[in-house]
Amino acid sequence: MESKKLASLFQEELCIFSLRSRKKTSVLQEMVRHLKASGNIADEHFILEMLKNRESLGSTGLGLGVAFPHGRSIAIPDLTVLFARSPSGIDFEALDGEPTKVFFLILAPSEKGAETYLALLSKLTALVQQPETLEKLYKVKDFESLQAVLGGDNK
Amino acid sequence: MREEFKLLVALQDLDIMIKEVEEKKTSDKLKNMGFQLDGLEELQKARAKLAGKIPKALRNRYEKLAGHYSMAIIPVTDNRCLGCFSKLPTSFFSSAYSSELLTCENCGRLLFIP
Repeated sequence: MESKKLASLFQEELCIFSLRSRKKTSVLQEMVRHLKASGNIADEHFILEMLKNRESLGSTGLGLGVAFPHGRSIAIPDLTVLFARSPSGIDFEALDGEPTKVFFLILAPSEKGAETYLALLSKLTALVQQPETLEKLYKVKDFESLQAVLGGDNK
Repeated sequence: MREEFKLLVALQDLDIMIKEVEEKKTSDKLKNMGFQLDGLEELQKARAKLAGKIPKALRNRYEKLAGHYSMAIIPVTDNRCLGCFSKLPTSFFSSAYSSELLTCENCGRLLFIP
């Protein structure tokens, strides 16, 4: 997946640059409500339950201040990505125990295979391994700066 | 949407998640990305709890369909069942928001209207 293509999967209305929630479940709830408010999902109940179940499998907070809540549901019509940021960080039960500042919520339709979202997840998890990119992600304040980070534009 | 149908949809989402973890190819990919998938038992407990809330006849219907197809509940897109792609009759949609569970007349899958 090329960086330009990666950046094109993100939409301005599906970004939260300053999360209000302070707890793990409420962060998931805030992101799902945002998806509902933007018209990307019809029913937040299914998605929230699915994401909470996914977290019980193992935290999607991989460390380095980044989490990747993800999953498939019949209530998702298309591959959907939501970016969210918490400037002060949230206890998301991350594997390294550190606060989580950046969230990539990835949802895919269940009738399509897991590959639909695994490729994107793989690309994003690799991206945050780059220290420079990670530092920029912690600080993005608007859609343009997010696009610049995802598109590899270092200007 | 009937409450019990909502529970069925949640059950299917959970089944898909469990299946992904049990599929070595998918779980290996997730583990290679750094995800820990240690809570399969927790998921199975959640599944049992959820399944227990669904009326037995409906749960049996779901289980039978899930044993036959990869997905027992399938979305409707462009007036078609996405499982067998058969066109649904216009009359079908007049009852789409009634309290009845909707079933594809061709393949028998339960239908989810997004």
